[in-house]
Amino acid sequence: MVGEEHVSMIPAAPSKVWSAEVNGQPQEVLSPSNAILLDVLRDKVGCLGVKRGCDMGTCGCCAVLVDGEPRLSCLTMAQDANGCSITTVEGLADGAHLAPIQQCFADHGGSQCGFCTPGFLITSQALLDKNPNPSDEQVACAIEGNLCRCTGYQQIIESIQAAAAINRGESDLAAPSSDAHPDPHPSGPD
Amino acid sequence: MSKDYVQQPGSNSDVRVDGKRVAGKLRFNPPGSGGSRPEMAERDMEFIPELQGGNEAQPAGAHSHDKYRTGTTVGKRTPLVDAKAKVTGQAWYGDDVRLANELIGRIVRSPHHHARVKSIDTSKAEALPGVIAVSTGADAPNKFGVLPVTKDEHAMAVEKVRHVGDLVACVAAIDEETAREAASLIEVDYEVLESVHDAKKGLQDVDDPIHWRGKYHIGSTNIQKRVFQEFGDRSNLEDSHASYSGKWKFMGVNHGFTEPHAVVAHWDSNGRLQLYTPQQVPHYAHRALATVLEVPMHQVNVIRTFVGGGFGGKSDPFPHEMCAAILARKAGRPVRITFDREEVFWVNRGRHPSNIEIKMHADDEGKISGLDIDALIDGGGFASFGHVTSYYNGVLATAPYELGSFHYTGARVWTNKPASGAMRGHGAVNTRCALEVGLDDMAEKMQVDPIDLRLANLLPPHSKTITGFRITSNGMRQALERVREGSNWDEKFRKMPLGKGIGIGCGFFISGSGLPIHWDPNNFPHATVHIQIDMDGGVTVHTGAADIGQGSTTAVAQVVAEVLALPLELVHVRSHESDTSPVDLGSYSSRVTFMNANAAISAALDIREKLLDAASEILSTPSEYLILNDRRIYNKRDPAEGISYLDALHKSQEDKGALIASGAYRTPPMGGVHKGAAAGLAPAYSFSAYVAEVEVDVEMGLIKCTDVWAAHDCGKALNPLAVEGQIIGSCHMGLGQVLSEQMVYGRTGHLQNPNLLEYKIPSVHEMPNVTPIIIESCDPEGPFGAKEAGEGPLLPILPAVVNAVYDAIGIRINELPLTPDKVWAAIAKKMKLENIADANDLPTPRLDFSELQEKLLQRSSEHAKRDVLRQRSEDTNPYINGVLFGFDPNIPPEEQDGGWKISVRPDSDQIENLGLAGSAWTKVEQRHMGGEN
Repeated sequence: MVGEEHVSMIPAAPSKVWSAEVNGQPQEVLSPSNAILLDVLRDKVGCLGVKRGCDMGTCGCCAVLVDGEPRLSCLTMAQDANGCSITTVEGLADGAHLAPIQQCFADHGGSQCGFCTPGFLITSQALLDKNPNPSDEQVACAIEGNLCRCTGYQQIIESIQAAAAINRGESDLAAPSSDAHPDPHPSGPD
Repeated sequence: MSKDYVQQPGSNSDVRVDGKRVAGKLRFNPPGSGGSRPEMAERDMEFIPELQGGNEAQPAGAHSHDKYRTGTTVGKRTPLVDAKAKVTGQAWYGDDVRLANELIGRIVRSPHHHARVKSIDTSKAEALPGVIAVSTGADAPNKFGVLPVTKDEHAMAVEKVRHVGDLVACVAAIDEETAREAASLIEVDYEVLESVHDAKKGLQDVDDPIHWRGKYHIGSTNIQKRVFQEFGDRSNLEDSHASYSGKWKFMGVNHGFTEPHAVVAHWDSNGRLQLYTPQQVPHYAHRALATVLEVPMHQVNVIRTFVGGGFGGKSDPFPHEMCAAILARKAGRPVRITFDREEVFWVNRGRHPSNIEIKMHADDEGKISGLDIDALIDGGGFASFGHVTSYYNGVLATAPYELGSFHYTGARVWTNKPASGAMRGHGAVNTRCALEVGLDDMAEKMQVDPIDLRLANLLPPHSKTITGFRITSNGMRQALERVREGSNWDEKFRKMPLGKGIGIGCGFFISGSGLPIHWDPNNFPHATVHIQIDMDGGVTVHTGAADIGQGSTTAVAQVVAEVLALPLELVHVRSHESDTSPVDLGSYSSRVTFMNANAAISAALDIREKLLDAASEILSTPSEYLILNDRRIYNKRDPAEGISYLDALHKSQEDKGALIASGAYRTPPMGGVHKGAAAGLAPAYSFSAYVAEVEVDVEMGLIKCTDVWAAHDCGKALNPLAVEGQIIGSCHMGLGQVLSEQMVYGRTGHLQNPNLLEYKIPSVHEMPNVTPIIIESCDPEGPFGAKEAGEGPLLPILPAVVNAVYDAIGIRINELPLTPDKVWAAIAKKMKLENIADANDLPTPRLDFSELQEKLLQRSSEHAKRDVLRQRSEDTNPYINGVLFGFDPNIPPEEQDGGWKISVRPDSDQIENLGLAGSAWTKVEQRHMGGEN
């Protein structure tokens, strides 16, 4: 940026219709033909849970599932995801019921500041979809593209393994806290 | 249930054989009484202290808050109360605030390191269709800065730019493309000035210093702050038994939080500024905004969004926050500015690149007779927190060990780099690393175990450091013992084969700043918390404490829930808006748990008393016989005799409506009287000890840290889940600094890696297996005994790894990070020196105990008994640093030893021999030079 040669941004690339199924809902928006998926999801579709951390595919905060595969939306052209089925962090919960992976990140300290959490949730959901019984090593390999600055990853791995155990039916979704929260509604931002 | 209270055998009904109803099986008004459980839960005796009749062990003694423990949530692994917002994507960070009709702001940044701004032509940008507002430094001439004594920043360059990336102008346009285009159309005429990139050069006189401080300017150098401190008797250091001298170089590191800075500014229809920003310290931003924008503080509402990681990097008031507000005012529309990752590095405020020289001496009994620190720190273009950092580099090294003497010279210089500032472990990390490695080296020279050397030199609980810091609780000894045991140290240290090593490091950090900046002792407490309860029973807690992911909101909710014996879900913490929250000094210097939770307890106690009074009146029972437990208040002699929380609440609301209380915290008076005595002063200190195990590939120079045993004394873990998260996370961040992270400046002084690809934050594969060990020393003034856990745990990992590398390959490297190229160069150098052909033949250090080891063991076992008595306040005799050296704690040491000095300015005969940073004292301030006055 600073000190780099100027490339004119204007006129912007012509807009094209972009359509996809996002979190189960069909979406059709106009977006510049050179837009990245991250911008379309955040600015046009309104999925603000998809986070922009580094702009260059190093932090993993912007991960989304494109046809079930984890993709870095900052490195994916929106047009390449045209017509695909996209799942963002907002689409993980079943209605108001948290997915096991979400509940476990909350309960086991997998999320501190929470900014990297959507990316981790997407990546680990993709792992658990394919491998219901991963080793710690396999979990580490799955999340190696996601940076977390708060947790040191250890509680993230614990969260993922706890979710895997729930998915396999080996343990209940009960929170380890004394204060089980039967109210399924996730608390909103305060 | 209490052990003393036995339920009638065989009774499953809610009525006892004697006709009374059984406690815990009583029905009480469920509607609106809150909570999802209709029944009262039993008291959780596992979480009620044993001295209050519960089962929670109290090895560190009683605490004044013990009687308010209700077994509700304190001490339990509690998920963060805002975790569900975070896992569902509902948490709103800076860039997630989208207001109707918003504009996109973009900042024009300097391409030069140091230049005078001669003119700025904004006409082309203003003419571009879609550009709504353009602003330059002329719109905001007022200076600001996080510290009142060093305000040296402008919203945008007024006269000069001071580093590449410094702000020059800004634009607001209808979309990002237009804003970027407009930014590129702003033409700036610069006169390029000579720039300074090396901290050592910052000590020299130059024609055009980066800042000019008038009569207080030191010579015509770039020295921003210089510190001199000398305590103790240094006359006998020459003939010490063992000594260490090391010159260290630490590269600058960045916080690396995942959320780039972002801000949204909006002037509402009443002309008030609504500013949304991910700030750790919203109150300081609030003050600076009022100054820069020239509006009263009450016309500004700072709304802290969720903060995507702070670590100190979001605690300054930032120029881009001013820019957004200025643009929004000009445009009459909301303006959102979001940073690229590159801009995050331009704004920086990361850990100071440092040149540290440390000298240590030990006498023939293995006591640390002298500690000399000289720290030259590179502040970059602005002062930021640097005034404080300059002190912290020295004074936070004065514990946990008892010192014979302490000598510190520090200097912070301006250079033409992005500003350094506060980062987790503020100012203490680098010197701590050098110091702990120095101790390891002295232990090697004296042929004693480094853990035993430490154990035999610890300050006890309830003592004073050499510079007068008041130590209260102190869990250092247990921390060392626990990591020694956990790591199987005695079987491994100096016994492992080449390439495998184990090392120890300790840490000491403040738990809140005793005399914080922007604090008027006559007018403000350190922290204020308001609690309000309306008829529905829900508890709303207003606090300004900024949750930056560390869980402060959860901690505040927990202590309120604990005191009032209410389920956590009944407690709602509102902490986002300055309009609704009392002034809070923010999340820095690890103050939030200590100060805010104390204020919250104080407010909750007020409410508790009102509830008990009401219950007492209804039940006609004195309130000292009443017990609060899970939405019910009952007679402890007959639990069946009680009322619901709601009944008591409604009774106490009869006259005034809502039940409202305010609580505050301020530190007790403490500290010495010398200049700088306030720096590093805290109401409590945390202690930590880590053992790290590493593998070093001697042919590649690659270090892999495999295991860490991390013991941290946090006083009392209000939430062990969060404390463990802080410990492991601290390990991660410290490990980055010791192994891979560095801000690399090239030959021309340009920052070469302002991105997360080349700035190497450890990934999951670099993380060792961390075993967090929580030590609870029960601080007498902490909330339920708690101290900080957010910053202190970072300190020990650096020296532990460096010491482990020495154990593995017998080489000490005094330059961080320990990247493979550096390690391999050091190995190659040693091979050449010692004529070794194959790296696999390198000798490894071995330990053959000297006679001193026995003495140390004996001393530490005596001290262990002393510490237990002092910790439990069974021995309350005064203890000051120096008792180990034979001083009487009741008489000031300077009266007992003629050579004992307390000095904060060098004597004229000392000035020439003061080391690198100390050489700053050879310069004279302008006012003494006949210059400006």
